[in-house]
Amino acid sequence: MKKKTALPVQETPVTPAPAASERAQVPDSAIPVVHEEHVIGDGMSKKEAMQKRMQNMTRSEINALRRKQAMEACWPVFRFLILFGLGFVILTPLLFMISYGFRDNADMHDPTIIWIPRHLTLRIMKETMKAMGMMQSKNNPIINTLVLNVGCSICQVITCAITGYGFARFQFKGKKLLFGIVILMILVPTQIISIPLNSTFRHFLFDHFNLIDSMLAMYLPALTANGIRSGLMIFIFRQFFRGLPKELEDAAYLDGCGPFGTFWKVMIPNAGSSFLTVFLFSIVWYWNDYYVASAFFTNLKTISLVLKNLDGTLNLSIFNNANANISAREKIVWLEAGCLISITPLLILYTCLQKYFTEGIERSGLVG
Amino acid sequence: MHEPVKMPYERRKALYGYGFISIWLIGTVLWFLVPLFESFCYCFMDNTLLRPDEGGMKKIWLSFAGGQWLSNFKFAFAADPYFKQYLISVLKDTALTTPMILIFSLFIAVILNQKFKGRGFARAIFFLPVIIATGPVYNIISGDIAATGADSGAQFSTLFETDIVDKLLEFLGVMNINAQLTDVINSVVTNIFGLVWSSGIQILIFLAALQNIPVSAKEAASMEGATAWEYFWKITLPYVSPMILANFIYTIIDSFTKTNNAVMARVLEKQLGWDFAQAAAMAWSYFAIVMIVVGIIVMLMNRYVFYEVD
Repeated sequence: MKKKTALPVQETPVTPAPAASERAQVPDSAIPVVHEEHVIGDGMSKKEAMQKRMQNMTRSEINALRRKQAMEACWPVFRFLILFGLGFVILTPLLFMISYGFRDNADMHDPTIIWIPRHLTLRIMKETMKAMGMMQSKNNPIINTLVLNVGCSICQVITCAITGYGFARFQFKGKKLLFGIVILMILVPTQIISIPLNSTFRHFLFDHFNLIDSMLAMYLPALTANGIRSGLMIFIFRQFFRGLPKELEDAAYLDGCGPFGTFWKVMIPNAGSSFLTVFLFSIVWYWNDYYVASAFFTNLKTISLVLKNLDGTLNLSIFNNANANISAREKIVWLEAGCLISITPLLILYTCLQKYFTEGIERSGLVG
Repeated sequence: MHEPVKMPYERRKALYGYGFISIWLIGTVLWFLVPLFESFCYCFMDNTLLRPDEGGMKKIWLSFAGGQWLSNFKFAFAADPYFKQYLISVLKDTALTTPMILIFSLFIAVILNQKFKGRGFARAIFFLPVIIATGPVYNIISGDIAATGADSGAQFSTLFETDIVDKLLEFLGVMNINAQLTDVINSVVTNIFGLVWSSGIQILIFLAALQNIPVSAKEAASMEGATAWEYFWKITLPYVSPMILANFIYTIIDSFTKTNNAVMARVLEKQLGWDFAQAAAMAWSYFAIVMIVVGIIVMLMNRYVFYEVD
């Protein structure tokens, strides 16, 4: 008790000024002298100091140092050149799309035009949209794709998350075997599966329903965590949930939460960004999917299907003649316009949510 | 009246585990395992009777006698005018581009992991192929227009296809040393477009792995005076090696679903022409060949993969 009361009395005079005086009493040699880098050696400049230091070095040391300096100076330039060149390779097709999509098809025969069109026009875009069937109210590929895309992605993300959680946090018999099936789902290409699935959907429920050309053919697998690349998604979710601390679950259990309650109230709020990432990738994969759609749909049109067949439909819709002899060089204009139309929504999504596309994978715990 | 027997917590938890995966399990049996088995069976069924368009499918097994049960495979490899040719070219292409993609994406990931101005922008550009390259757009922009009936893809490919490599090799006097080597170098350089465009996800995964390298390893290396070169071989490579394996497998799987995969295009063509048995035989033989090679490579690579033990 005495000590405690006594101490503050002693310490009260410790204010900045006395402290400085105390420090002054300490012999200089006790304090390590911390020089700024540029005053090493009695206020020499950085360059002079370096020269002095090099005098004490052997020849090979000096060479190594010089080489290192040269590398450090050159590398940013090289890095810029590499990144710029490769970035150009990536951006060129996009720039081409923009340049071609808004030019008149006659410009294609003008050898002086490469990037900047002489006749700017929206006609090509409109014609392409018409050829892709985006103007019609029925069977509109944009609406079809959106309905398929968003719906399937939501279903798939939810079911894959539930499955991934089951694999991550529970021990049960046959877990290894079942997870092996998930890995198999990642490995086996959809092409193999879609051959018999085609007839399964054609004669669904003992021939009572024909699901070919019905969106159910895509919705049913997505609802049961078997949509496009669902194996990969289950894997990502499993990795993510495995990375969450176990205490979360124990705490929830003590508070009287069952496993489903825990998943709903504790895990899902924590998995927000992971959900968004998988959802975005799901959207992209459904949007770009051509194979599954062409296996199950014959009349139902999606963006990627119409784009794939654009070359054939162009003749009919624009020139009213299946055998119209339009030069392939001119046709590129419409094809590029089609590309531009079909990737614009994805590009907008990407530029707005780029952070989630790239950082999501890093945070999902897929690595490590 | 007796008290309800309470199940032990462990067993209850196991049951909940089944509950969580039940949705997936139902779906997998319906949409994955059964079709997988069926399509495997299709390979050994009579192609002419297995047509859903003509009054339902008659699933008749091919007779075992006289090697007839292999007739679908025989058709694929001997009679089909395109399949074998496509298969060889696609396999060759995969074998050549997969290691290139891995090396290239690791290289780019290392660069994008450094600190410099405009890094975020550079990353955004390099990940752009992730959202585009899986779709049919890639087909059109990659100059593969010849396949869709136009011949003017040349204008695109000339951008990236120059004689400069040939000229350079000629200049160095190595042109005639090994024709195959120059072929390989040549195809890599002319294929830089395909390379850049198919390594988006791989760069992403490598970058994530690079950011997971512990700071202590980095500090230790710089203490010991490791050069950037040594740092790459002794620190970076071991740490990312599990992801090299993962990326390898991902690249192979990705090549199945690429829109310009000629083999799969042929399978789809056959499938849409109701030749289910032949389509199945083609798809399965392609898949089997690739998987066997991948299995061997993964086994070999597994020896050199460094797994950090926590």
